[in-house]
Amino acid sequence: MRAIYLIARREYLSYVATWGFWLSLASMPMFMALGFGLPILIESSQPTRYYALIDESGGALEAAIESQRSASRDARAEATREATAELLGDNPAIAAAIADAPEPAEKYIRVYPDVTDIETLRPYLLGEQTVETSDGPQPLFAAIYLRQAAGGAIDVEYWSTNLTDGELRSEIRRTLREYMQLNRLLESGVSPELVAAAGELTPTVRELNPERSAEAAEVTTAERLPIIVAIAVAFGLWIVIFSVVNMLLTAMIEEKGNKVLEMMLASSRHHEILTGKLLGVALVSTTLLLVWGGLAATVGLGLQQMPFAAELPLGEIMAAVLDPALVFPAIGYFIIGYLMYGAIFLAIGSLCETLQDAQTLMSPMMLIMMVPLFLVMVAADAPDSPIIVIASWVPLWTPFIMLARLPQDPALFDIIGTTVVMVATAAAVIWGAGVMFRMGALNQANQDTVKGWFRLGGKSKPG
Amino acid sequence: MSEIILSLDGVSKTFSGKPAVRDLSFTVRRGEITGFLGPNGAGKSTSLRMALGILTPDAGEVSLFGGRPRANALERVGFLPEERGIYRKMKVIDVIIFFARLKGVTPVDARRRGLAMLEEFGLADVADSKVKTLSKGMAQKIQIISTLIHDPEFIILDEPFSGLDPVNQKALEQIVRARAEAGATILFSTHVMEHAERLCDQIVLVAKGRKVFDGNVEAALAMIPRRVILETVSEQDLAQTFAPLGEVVQEAGAADGARRWLIDLGPGIDAQDVLKACVDGNIRLLRFEPARAHLHDAFVHLVETSGQFSNETLAGEAV
Repeated sequence: MRAIYLIARREYLSYVATWGFWLSLASMPMFMALGFGLPILIESSQPTRYYALIDESGGALEAAIESQRSASRDARAEATREATAELLGDNPAIAAAIADAPEPAEKYIRVYPDVTDIETLRPYLLGEQTVETSDGPQPLFAAIYLRQAAGGAIDVEYWSTNLTDGELRSEIRRTLREYMQLNRLLESGVSPELVAAAGELTPTVRELNPERSAEAAEVTTAERLPIIVAIAVAFGLWIVIFSVVNMLLTAMIEEKGNKVLEMMLASSRHHEILTGKLLGVALVSTTLLLVWGGLAATVGLGLQQMPFAAELPLGEIMAAVLDPALVFPAIGYFIIGYLMYGAIFLAIGSLCETLQDAQTLMSPMMLIMMVPLFLVMVAADAPDSPIIVIASWVPLWTPFIMLARLPQDPALFDIIGTTVVMVATAAAVIWGAGVMFRMGALNQANQDTVKGWFRLGGKSKPG
Repeated sequence: MSEIILSLDGVSKTFSGKPAVRDLSFTVRRGEITGFLGPNGAGKSTSLRMALGILTPDAGEVSLFGGRPRANALERVGFLPEERGIYRKMKVIDVIIFFARLKGVTPVDARRRGLAMLEEFGLADVADSKVKTLSKGMAQKIQIISTLIHDPEFIILDEPFSGLDPVNQKALEQIVRARAEAGATILFSTHVMEHAERLCDQIVLVAKGRKVFDGNVEAALAMIPRRVILETVSEQDLAQTFAPLGEVVQEAGAADGARRWLIDLGPGIDAQDVLKACVDGNIRLLRFEPARAHLHDAFVHLVETSGQFSNETLAGEAV
């Protein structure tokens, strides 16, 4: 036990002294900040586009587009208000803040150049000449020509050097399609009031849970929190395991390359070294989880003190996170998952002198590790999909996929069966990794030995 | 008869069908310095690993301190493996403390002893340096300190002199002698016979996994014929004159007008008998040199007579 403690302690202290550990520590909050902030950043960093709209039909199409764009702006503002109210509740302070907030900057602004034919506008579109705007002289992003033929057909010529930003083109196409449809209805004798009323029609949907009585059957947003939290925890576990097993692998390779292992074997047994290393890195993972959990709790508590977040369902989120039905399986899945992957990566490391040596063996493992990342997302929407059910029986994926499935009440047989298979596999993997570690540590096997096992009809090459 | 610290009895080990050690038996007694000699690939490291329980023999028995080599016995052993290294990113003193604590030394004692040994090895000023900043020779000294820090009663050194410059080889020889004088039992493997010849009370010679000799250095040297080198100015063919004394070979390379003879003395014959024969035969001598036998010659002889190696192989491997 002393050797295991000393090895684990040395491993822990050596890991926390590395840049990799601090990067891992910063990665989760960094990714979360990026996840929330990047779309906003991208949106706010988009340049304003200036376009010219030339209506050759007499002005009706232009008016329709302007009207639609104005209506879209109002609708967006209303949608923002509604979303905020839904999220934060009826908070007069927030409502006032939103009302006072400046209009968001338009992404596309119409300009009115003195010339209208395409040959004259071409230099503006090519950036050789500029138009005067509120932001100063700017090139023209697009020139749009609208023509109406006999019989109501509309032709749009959209001139632009930008082939990827099609938002404006789509908006104009959509607006004109609605304009054409509306005109056809009006020509057919449908009253404008009826068309407007028809546009307002929408069903009221109530989502109900048949497991409850009619009065209490309505499903609320808070009820979906455990599912969201379980998926987040599954991702968190994946990131932790992925981070630390890589640290384990590189440290093992370094130790093998430095010829430290045999010095260690003179003082301790293989299983003590293996266990000590796994334990040391498990402590590193625990530190990561505690720091991330503490950070999330601090941010949550901090947010709760803010007036605008007073009605955020932070209590429900915390309850979902700390729900024993999630916490205990998460701890169990983490331990088993970590032991399986950790033992495999340690064994790989013990067979290799350099990272290049390890790459051949690592590639299939990385592919195996990436699969649950995608399946967890699918499991959120379709926990009973045959692919998800089958995948959750694959022991290396069970910790992540079953964790995501748990809040959606999978069959008891699935829970018990996958757990038994996973634990049995973990025991076999740890035993096998121990044998490989023992052989690798004494240079009796290397990466070629493993490759030899998978060579069809070939013999394994002794190390 | 002193206590047996280590005994291997009929031990064999095979890797992927290739025998590394075959039916090997020998003992190491308390207080002795035993040399475990053989060319590269003779199975020395495998035998030492089995002695410590790092490897399990396929056949035979290993006894360490009178029992099977269990983890608790390692605390009484200091093992310097052939493939050795230390944590390059750690401080020197921390490495030493780590290995000392693995051997059951308390943290306070480990630091105290570590600093004292660094002082003894002339490395006191690098105690707080990272290992990666040290020269190779200094790092090897740290490995030796890490092996000896817990004052083991049984020290096993696998090729301890390899990679050391002559000055450090001499220093290590002194350390080995000092530890032996302090009462430690020492077993070290080497393929450099000179070290064994200078240090060992007992030697075990192995080749291709088999033991070819087990005894003291004198006994090993006695296994090979003693040799006398003569240079004469006589034109006479002396082969017949010296034939009763042993095997006679004329060798090239003598000075102009001289002839050189090598006489491998037969059983019961010594150099005095050759000298007497020269006097009796009125042979004019330019050179008379009883050649001192070396362990290397003994090793070559022993292996050749055991029929395991060709001369070429030995010349290349047993330095």
